[in-house]
Amino acid sequence: MAHPPHVTLTPLVQVRQLSKTFRRDNGETFYAVREVDLDIYRGEIFSLLGPNGAGKTTTISMISGLLTPTSGDATIGGHSITRAPLAAKRLIGMVPQEIALYPALTARQNLTFFGRMYGMNGTALAHAVDEVLDLIDLKDRQHDKVDKFSGGMKRRVNIGVGMLHKPQLIYMDEPTVGIDPQNRRRILDTVLRLRDEMKMTVLYTSHLMEEIQEISDRVGIIDHGQMIALGTVGELIQKLGEEDRLVFKVGPQTVPDALLRQIESSVPTVTRAVFEQQALGGDQSDSLTDREGVISIYATRGRRALPDIIRITNEAALEVFSVEVREPDLEAVFLQLTGRALRD
Amino acid sequence: MLAKIWAIAYKEVYLTFTDRSLLLIMLATPLALASIIGFAFSGFIGGQGSDVSVSDITLAIVNLDQGMTTGDQTLNQGQIFIDLLVPDGADDPDNALHTLTDAAALPDAASARAGVADGTYAAAIIIPADFTQRITVSQAQPELQPVALEVVTSPAAPVSGNIASSIAGGIADQIAVGSVAVASTIGALTERAFSNPAFGLQFAAASSSGAFAPDFSAAFAPASAPITIEQQTVTGAVAGFNPLVSFGSAQALFFMMFTALGSANSLMEEKRGGTLQRQLVSPTPRMAILLGKMLGTWVTCVVQVTLLILALTLVGSLIAGELQFIWGNNIFLIVLVILLASLAAGGVGALVAAIVRTPEQGNIVGSVIALLFGLFSGAFFSLDAIPGADILSRLTVNYWGVEAFTRLAQGQTDIGLNLLVLVILGGVFFAVGLFVFDRRLNV
Repeated sequence: MAHPPHVTLTPLVQVRQLSKTFRRDNGETFYAVREVDLDIYRGEIFSLLGPNGAGKTTTISMISGLLTPTSGDATIGGHSITRAPLAAKRLIGMVPQEIALYPALTARQNLTFFGRMYGMNGTALAHAVDEVLDLIDLKDRQHDKVDKFSGGMKRRVNIGVGMLHKPQLIYMDEPTVGIDPQNRRRILDTVLRLRDEMKMTVLYTSHLMEEIQEISDRVGIIDHGQMIALGTVGELIQKLGEEDRLVFKVGPQTVPDALLRQIESSVPTVTRAVFEQQALGGDQSDSLTDREGVISIYATRGRRALPDIIRITNEAALEVFSVEVREPDLEAVFLQLTGRALRD
Repeated sequence: MLAKIWAIAYKEVYLTFTDRSLLLIMLATPLALASIIGFAFSGFIGGQGSDVSVSDITLAIVNLDQGMTTGDQTLNQGQIFIDLLVPDGADDPDNALHTLTDAAALPDAASARAGVADGTYAAAIIIPADFTQRITVSQAQPELQPVALEVVTSPAAPVSGNIASSIAGGIADQIAVGSVAVASTIGALTERAFSNPAFGLQFAAASSSGAFAPDFSAAFAPASAPITIEQQTVTGAVAGFNPLVSFGSAQALFFMMFTALGSANSLMEEKRGGTLQRQLVSPTPRMAILLGKMLGTWVTCVVQVTLLILALTLVGSLIAGELQFIWGNNIFLIVLVILLASLAAGGVGALVAAIVRTPEQGNIVGSVIALLFGLFSGAFFSLDAIPGADILSRLTVNYWGVEAFTRLAQGQTDIGLNLLVLVILGGVFFAVGLFVFDRRLNV
């Protein structure tokens, strides 16, 4: 496994056979997380991906001490989250997805309060608050109440609180949700600075694949409570092989299996052709007019296969509305491994 | 851990006292309500009546009057109270006194006092042994003598106590008027006997029986209103009903309970907003979080009740036209009641915060509890005449607080039970809340 030079290969977080069960309303017990093993190395940005309900939040909640594991354990800096939770918690900083701040307090008061929760006080706390205000570029607004801030400024304070006590591991849950591109860029730069300048280890989640691809040293994909893939972005893409995905959108039409088999057998570089109907606009309507047919064709050197495929669809009188060639990326990996798009 | 507890408490207090709308609810609303009630009932302060609508006031009548014998007649004026107030089955069902009261005759003062103390009776009228003797003129006693009726009341039922006093006073006035009239008539007859020899001979023969004491002065002397009402509490201290004390303290504790429950409910709001999770992922034990929250709630409640008590003192002074501290003279015990009532309220808040799962649930449960506690402590109307209300009242924090304030205002200091109950309520509720919070907080 290849690792970037700044990653030390010394695990900061070690997760072993971590499981969590919950009880449904009908009394049935189910696994939200089942026997997850994971190492997160010091100095890396590790991204955890998974569809909603896959077990990602439960895993992170156990690592950060919010939930007690049903079985298994995790250590942070050698401190067990079950046997020495307070020692483990001292090493963690959390940046939740929501703006977890007191709106009626100023930026400085928020930072000071949460600093005290980590046992900081006096001049050391004041100095740390100053440092963070500098880092998040809000020193000139430090005495303004948070509810007067823009969404991006609130997000920056939200991040500032998480890094105030200089944690060894900082967990950031979709920190760029709902903000403008300029603030998003600023936050991603901050995340990179946490790793490169402050030598922090970052546990990151996001729905934005391009963001994950840009900043992550390694990625773990979790589904149905189990870790199904783990590696660098390059390693995960390699698992797909060199295939491109050709996406044909055919509107409300349905495509017979015979046509898909004909494409697979007639075009030598095509390995697989799949038809599915996707809801337009992401809704759940069953109406045919609200759904769109999509043929996904996997092929090596997909652009070369394109003319032959179009000829076959023309002969079958299939009306094609658009064609797109997608080269292998993390989203394709995710789709192949989970059968779902990340946003589903 | 102490620094973290204090940091959480300080944040709570700061957030509360910088929220103007919250301050309006916490301070201005109860002050306005208590003041309105205080002014509406200000007649009580001046010793006049009120038109509070009540019925079936439970009343114990103890007639210790031994009466007196003149010739072959035995007179017992104390029996008039029994005849008028205690139904004997042959009375007019529309008798207003029987509608207003539910009176029973008891054989001795001790059982009457015990009945008032345990809530069986709202008040007791105790007629002394020499009642008839003192208000009847005779050869041996040519002038009427002052005599005091004792009306024993409960601090928990101040309105009923005042009404019982009024009833006793009304009956006593009628008896006194009769005695004075008799004395005056005898005086007039004596004068006529002196001016009319024939009549004088007849009157002399009659008066030789010793039944008459000619004296006009009885109609004008201070003893012309010879029966006084001495209203006392069950422990004997002289009672004075000030509506600002009972309604004001009930309002203060009612809104304090709202503050405590609202403040505790902010735990759920913090859970929803994510700030609770932030504290939970920090190396801060859950107990410290709940303790900090409760300390903040407690300080807020203490400040709120203290400010309300001071403000109500000003209102009371305005009504009375002079500066007066209406809460009694024992500042130490007043402070102790404030501290412990706030502690108990904080305990209730901690328990509710631990049980509910959402802020909405917390608002509903908290409001219901605050309203019930307020209702059963007489924050809205007197519960003196509602059967069973007294027992339910004792289950509330507010009852013990309001009763303690009322006792202190009446000059009593026997509030040990009140303080003990408040400590126990606060401690037990908080301990259960902490236990449930630790087990159920699933964020």
